[in-house]
Amino acid sequence: MKFITPAEEELSYLRADPLLWEQELDVRPEVAEDIEKATGIRAGRVYWRSEHDHLYALELADLGRGRPSMAMVYGFWDRYEPRPPEHEIDADLLKFMIWVGEISKSIDSSDVERVAEFAQMQTGRLQTTWPEGSVLRTPEERFANLPGFPYEAKYVEVEGLRMAYVEEGKGDPTLMLHGEPTWGYLYRHMIPPLSKVGRVIVPDQIGCGRSDKPVADNAYSYKAFVRWMRKFVQTLDLQGITLIGQDWGGLVGLRIVAQMPERFSRLVMMNTGIPDGRGGTRAFFAWRRFSQRQTELDVPALIKQAVQDHTLTDAEAAAYGVPFPSKEYQTAALLWPRQVPTRPDHPGAYDNRVAIEVLRTLDTPVLLPWAGGDAVTHGGDAGLRRIFKNCAPPLPIESAGHFIQEDAGEEVAKHIIDWIESIQKIS
Amino acid sequence: MTRELPTKPDWLKPLFPWEQHSITVNGRLMAYVDEGDTKARPVLLLHGNPTWGFLYRDFIGPLTEAGYRAIVPDWIGAGYSDNPRVDAVLTSAHHIADLVSLMDQLKLRGFVIVGQDWGGPQGVGAALQRVERLDAIVLMNTWLFTGYVGRFHSSPRPWTTWHAPLIGQFFMKRHKVLSLEGPSTVSQRGMTETEAQGYHHIYEETDSDHVVLTWPRTIPMREGDRGWNDILNIERRLPELADVPTLLLWAPEDNVFPIEYANRLKELMPHAEGPITFDKAAHFLQDDRGPDLARAIVEFLNRTVGGSL
Repeated sequence: MKFITPAEEELSYLRADPLLWEQELDVRPEVAEDIEKATGIRAGRVYWRSEHDHLYALELADLGRGRPSMAMVYGFWDRYEPRPPEHEIDADLLKFMIWVGEISKSIDSSDVERVAEFAQMQTGRLQTTWPEGSVLRTPEERFANLPGFPYEAKYVEVEGLRMAYVEEGKGDPTLMLHGEPTWGYLYRHMIPPLSKVGRVIVPDQIGCGRSDKPVADNAYSYKAFVRWMRKFVQTLDLQGITLIGQDWGGLVGLRIVAQMPERFSRLVMMNTGIPDGRGGTRAFFAWRRFSQRQTELDVPALIKQAVQDHTLTDAEAAAYGVPFPSKEYQTAALLWPRQVPTRPDHPGAYDNRVAIEVLRTLDTPVLLPWAGGDAVTHGGDAGLRRIFKNCAPPLPIESAGHFIQEDAGEEVAKHIIDWIESIQKIS
Repeated sequence: MTRELPTKPDWLKPLFPWEQHSITVNGRLMAYVDEGDTKARPVLLLHGNPTWGFLYRDFIGPLTEAGYRAIVPDWIGAGYSDNPRVDAVLTSAHHIADLVSLMDQLKLRGFVIVGQDWGGPQGVGAALQRVERLDAIVLMNTWLFTGYVGRFHSSPRPWTTWHAPLIGQFFMKRHKVLSLEGPSTVSQRGMTETEAQGYHHIYEETDSDHVVLTWPRTIPMREGDRGWNDILNIERRLPELADVPTLLLWAPEDNVFPIEYANRLKELMPHAEGPITFDKAAHFLQDDRGPDLARAIVEFLNRTVGGSL
């Protein structure tokens, strides 16, 4: 267990949820003493971040008996948001229990694991992965014969969820991340040209496309999308990545860049951003208000409305609705707009501010093809320009709308290929 | 202002038709069944962990029909009694003092202690405080001494790991591995779903099961452990019970208190009858072999002390 010191500011955006209250920590004095030794404190708090990026603390109290005598384990959640799924908390707590076993001379951590298995078998309540029925999977036959999208899905498992992606071509990886309310299909005009010059990887974010779709709202958070995509990149062990991100593809992608900058060689950000919690465009607020009042999104209609290129056929528009046989499949699409941080205390805003400080230090080349016909992200390229040191000259695509990949995919792909070539020439 | 006990669900009533009375002991509300002639000899039927008076549902009828008064309390923290969320009020000393308070307020005299699991030390511990009024003891799969710890209670899988500091909060409190999986798991006769629910429903509420964790932690293994002094106090006073008719009824197939415990009790209380053993029964022998045990107790009491005072 690696203990950390979270910033006061981070804690101010979180709420401490007492998960375990040990009133009699020194009912076995030697265990209490081992905990003191391992944490270095007799009273106070130690913090750690779990595999799920959740923050936890162990709080010890000294009642004057020469050792810590009471303990509380807290989980820290977004201050006013429901807590994440119980199985994530259980998995994290179980890791902590095993740690208690490891640092205690009188407890064997393998016994803790065995007892946990026993409890899982016996009670069925101690769940460390998605419970039966909590995750939906769109039937594969719905994805057959989609216009312009002959790509078979490949799959990796991330936290017990099946994440789908398209992989085409060979060479340095180009990772293309979609956003709301789309999936990898959005990149179908860019896959052929870019896969000629490199290895193209187009994942569907969790809750979208051919990837698995947890049903509950609290399964999804900005942090969770980042975590899932980070684990995707780590699982494929991508290096030297050219990252292409639009909409939530950028919001998620840039956070991963900040977490693992060494894996990324070039960034292409299109009609996206890394919002630090200082407002948003009027068009975004209108969209957020509209979307949050829906119980079901008519995704093909939304795409059709936003796309400027009127050659989009009904069959193509319909392909955006294919991942959602019913509204139960739309949890991610329905809640994504409200997770864009627009206030300083918005979940994710603080994390983005921390990420921005990292991004400011990077020399990574950045290209910003920006659709001029998108009021939602209007001015976002200027914002990114203030963060990144090494931006290519502005690249406005005036004819395109929010879904720039639909309106000008081939054109943008060509710009990207030329830009990469120009960078490689210089170096 | 008087508080009332929680209402029992309708499905429970066919299995447990008796009304529970309530009485305030040491500031907390204790639930107890009190059936039979109030002038008859009181028989205190004392449960252990993680059960409640429900465990004695096969005993109340036979005892009252034989002319005894059956009193079945739920320990504070268990059953329909108050369940304080503070570990420090769930020590052996508190449990014993609670039962003594019940005995005093009901003005019990010439009483009989019938105890299994924690009903043994807590029942005998209370009886020793009012030893002048004690007339007989029946012990079933329990212990009253410090010198011997069996394999179950010293084993890390699952017992000592289950209730270890912090780890116990995870397994026993957050996941209720004992409070919701107790008697049904070891039932030898295969209890029904409804019967299992009869044991488990009392702990469904979050945090209502402090006692299910404090009890295991009170089984002392070494000097200084929680509960060591209380068990030692009882053990030292056992010679005072040499004239009290005592009966040992035992389920040797119980892996928690196997027959070695009965043998040790017999050494400490050589005047005790038994152990009379009952097969097809595990730790909760009252549930597995209730009518047979009740018959044995009635026979023993009729022969030694009788129902009238």
